[in-house]
Amino acid sequence: MTVPMDIEGPAAPPRSNGELVFAEPWESRAFAMAVALCDAGAFTWSEFQAALIARIGHHDETSSEWCYYSHWLGALQDVLDGQGTVPDDAVTARARELAQRPADHDHAHQHR
Amino acid sequence: MSESADRIPASLRTEALEQLLTERGLVDPKVLDTIITTYETYVGPLNGAKVVAKAWTDPSYRRWLLDDGTAAIRELGYLGVQTEHVVVVENSATSHHVVVCTLCSCYPWQLLGLPPSWYKSPVYRARIVREPREVLSEMGLELADDVQITVHDSTSEVRWLVLPERPAGTENLSEEQLVPLITREAMVGVAKVDAR
Amino acid sequence: MFSEAWEGRAFALALLSNRLAKWNLDAFRHALERLSPTDYLDDGYFGRWLNGAELILTESAILAPEAIEARARNLRGEQTREPSNPLPVSLDYAPSAEGSLRTVDAQPAFAVGERVRAKDISRPGHSRLPRYVRSHVGVVDLVQPASVLPDTNAHFEGENPQYVYTVRFDSRDLWGADAEPFALTIELFESYLEKAA
Repeated sequence: MTVPMDIEGPAAPPRSNGELVFAEPWESRAFAMAVALCDAGAFTWSEFQAALIARIGHHDETSSEWCYYSHWLGALQDVLDGQGTVPDDAVTARARELAQRPADHDHAHQHR
Repeated sequence: MSESADRIPASLRTEALEQLLTERGLVDPKVLDTIITTYETYVGPLNGAKVVAKAWTDPSYRRWLLDDGTAAIRELGYLGVQTEHVVVVENSATSHHVVVCTLCSCYPWQLLGLPPSWYKSPVYRARIVREPREVLSEMGLELADDVQITVHDSTSEVRWLVLPERPAGTENLSEEQLVPLITREAMVGVAKVDAR
Repeated sequence: MFSEAWEGRAFALALLSNRLAKWNLDAFRHALERLSPTDYLDDGYFGRWLNGAELILTESAILAPEAIEARARNLRGEQTREPSNPLPVSLDYAPSAEGSLRTVDAQPAFAVGERVRAKDISRPGHSRLPRYVRSHVGVVDLVQPASVLPDTNAHFEGENPQYVYTVRFDSRDLWGADAEPFALTIELFESYLEKAA
């Protein structure tokens, strides 16, 4: 890792065309989960990448609307479900519970 | 994954997954926060720009970088995740290199940060290996007819970095002054560096 | 999935120990295989992970061998002398658990400048051989470090480490005589390639 550097000013990292690294917060969480789990040894990068390539390849054939991180998330779920670490059903069930929250629920409470 | 599950918004699926992993002790949300901050703020194209600026101002470093990119980049501390083995290729008046990952989105994270949307898009990935001159033109880069183009498809752990041409008019600039000119696009090979 | 809170922590601890010791997942699995029968059987599935973690930490000299036992006794109220931390042994492994680079004893099958053909492999499952190069002939530009073969590694069929080659193709061979003229390089695993005339 590089040493910390100025965030503002002439040494600030250039952003290309003003594009943010993550368009939505969920993309950043999905990215970080894959990196953290791989780093902890839950799966190898080539396992995750194989799942990602499969999803991207499937998309390229079907030409549906492109959302890179939804393939990333799908690949992460594929690997975790395949291992039995976190079954898809559990994610679906929990996501449905979360969908029942009232609209003004404070999301910060979900991160302890 | 079932089709109906796919229709649940990705944001909810992600939140659900993070909750389940946290409850099972497999991730720590604070560690996730740190990873996100790292790639949003600390790891980005500035690293690659420093490598290029050093190569432009130090001929022996330039030779080393082209001869053994991995060692020369390790020297500056920029090897790491997704940047384990690097081959550096130089653009010139007669030779132009451009990089892609047709299968997914392989990219030298530690040098250039996370890849931009266009790099990951099906359009770029499919077309740059078929008609690079046309694609580069559409992206704003016109190359003379006698320029030889080489496209590098990253299909393994090898990562490719383009050493762009140093633009005319920058002869009096120091290494530090050159850094802000060097863009990620130039280091992937879809643009040239402007003297600005 | 975890019937007791400690089991979840044991699992997480095991994964973290693995990372801390800079071993890869295969080495961790192997550590589990090397536990004594008592350590392997008596504590159940997650006890195994905990014992595996202890094995890794002591073998890596991150913890002294009796450190965990001594600390457990002290937490129970006994008064046992805890051993001091040893100097860490640095293991001669690749720097990251997720790294794919390996060394192999054999010599590369192909040399720089040699003409090679990408096989027309289209078996089901993962592959890093894109369709557009299959059956085409190119020239070896560079011999890259050996790496795990994603095709088998991704399906838990073994790492099959092998050399990787940067192979250069002519666009006209890939896309036809009317294609833009350019060169294309791509990294191909040794088992994807065969000698060409």
